[in-house]
Amino acid sequence: MKIGRSYGLKVYTTLFFLYIFTPLILIFIFAFNSGEGYIFPLQGFTLNWFAEFFRDSTAQRSIGNSLIIALSSATISAILAALLTIGLLKGKFKRPQLYITFLMLPVLMPSLTIGIAALVFFRTISFPSGIPVVILAHVSISMSYVFLIMMARIESLSLTLQEAAIDLGASWYGSIKDIVFPNLMPAMVAGWLFAFMVSWNEFIVTYFLIGNNTTLPIYIFSQLRFGISPKVNVISLLVALFTLLVIIILLSARRLSRRFSQS
Amino acid sequence: MSIILKKNRNLAFPGLLWFLVFFLLPLSVILIYSITERSLMSGEPVRFTMDNFLQVFQKRHYLIILLRSLRISFFTTIISILFSYPVAYFLAKRTKFDRILIVMLIVPFWINYLIRTFAWKLILSDNGILNQVLLGLNIIDEPLRIMYTQTSVLLGLVYTYTPMMVLPLYAALLRIDDSLIEASLDLGASRARAFFDITFRLSLTGIFAGTLLVFIPALGSFAIPAILGGTDSVMIGNMIENQFNLVGNWNTGSAFTISLAVLSIVLVLFYSRIFGLESIYKNRGI
Repeated sequence: MKIGRSYGLKVYTTLFFLYIFTPLILIFIFAFNSGEGYIFPLQGFTLNWFAEFFRDSTAQRSIGNSLIIALSSATISAILAALLTIGLLKGKFKRPQLYITFLMLPVLMPSLTIGIAALVFFRTISFPSGIPVVILAHVSISMSYVFLIMMARIESLSLTLQEAAIDLGASWYGSIKDIVFPNLMPAMVAGWLFAFMVSWNEFIVTYFLIGNNTTLPIYIFSQLRFGISPKVNVISLLVALFTLLVIIILLSARRLSRRFSQS
Repeated sequence: MSIILKKNRNLAFPGLLWFLVFFLLPLSVILIYSITERSLMSGEPVRFTMDNFLQVFQKRHYLIILLRSLRISFFTTIISILFSYPVAYFLAKRTKFDRILIVMLIVPFWINYLIRTFAWKLILSDNGILNQVLLGLNIIDEPLRIMYTQTSVLLGLVYTYTPMMVLPLYAALLRIDDSLIEASLDLGASRARAFFDITFRLSLTGIFAGTLLVFIPALGSFAIPAILGGTDSVMIGNMIENQFNLVGNWNTGSAFTISLAVLSIVLVLFYSRIFGLESIYKNRGI
């Protein structure tokens, strides 16, 4: 019944989307404004802030670090989560629901508690803070997300497929490699991208574990706390474009995986 | 068959081990810190105590911050429900373009929330865009002082977490069978009655799932009050950070962290008792 007189709702929804997008659009506009401050009327078009961004080595180092952390934590958590999903849902466990409940904790608890726990833990065992620790912590968060994504996919994968392969002479390892994994691949790609985004945006846990190093969210945070320059607008614009790109890939990966699971 | 099941089971162990060592173990370590005195590494015998928790709930200063955080998160949740209900309803029941609109809602959500918080700083500052507009239109004579107050923190939190409310609400409303409403109208119910007795009741799952997804992160928020807030809007997150980075009192800090964790777990358990755990993650959207 997608009908009915709903002008009021239509107007309201339009206003709501304006509310969501206006702040972002304002940021993007001021990335090209030649004035120092954030004052209307705009003073003129400039690409100076972009030039300044490309001269800022800290900003670039933080982007590099963020990429390293996101790429490696996404890869580790996609692999671990894929194995976990197969083992937990297609293996012999007495109470899988119990494990699933535990695995949901990182998704549902405030990340602050996770960050503090990791900080205290690694300090207690005298493990130095820095990029490796951040990767470890990001994996334990994003693994749960990827697991949840893959869990929805693997329910459609029947055990009889694997059984048939083994009956026909495949080894157990062969059945996993040639039957189960290819079936899970699209979900794994979607999960990987999701884990990448989680890590790329993650601030709180990183803040406690990164030590003297920096990542992009950490860099933005420090810029916001102590006076802001339109350089931050440039970074925001670039990050937004990058995010858009990843989301487009993510959505097409999901569409692909849906098509796979239907055929 | 059972051999396959047994061999498959082994695949779960690397992930479970990782989860045990890098997630559950750290949590247990702060749990121990929260019920002991001094550092675990000091070499002195460990003494158990409840003082850390008593402090959290007895010291006036802490209690004020605790109650303030609960209040701010509560209002964040209420406002986000009010903001998103009409939108979710429109998306679920009144438009064919719901999928594309949902994507449009998700895109900003995935842009780092620090960037979105930065936007609110530009808008709400004393010489910010809101004040420029209002002064320019002669609606006010003096700039509004919103920045660095609880209001600015609340606005930032609402803006950041409202999409998390729209998604589960939309999913819940989408599942409602329209023939139920038609039947009730045929049987003589008013539109308002049909809405409150059917649509609203059946959307409660969505409201509760959204509440978890908004209330818990808002309660544990740290960056948003740090950027948009002032001294009167310090929240639990900021205080926990203080305990670790400035005061250096790990025991009290851990007690705070554990309280926060327990509170969120209780909320989740309460929810899963009523609605089942699956409905949370199935409603998360992307």
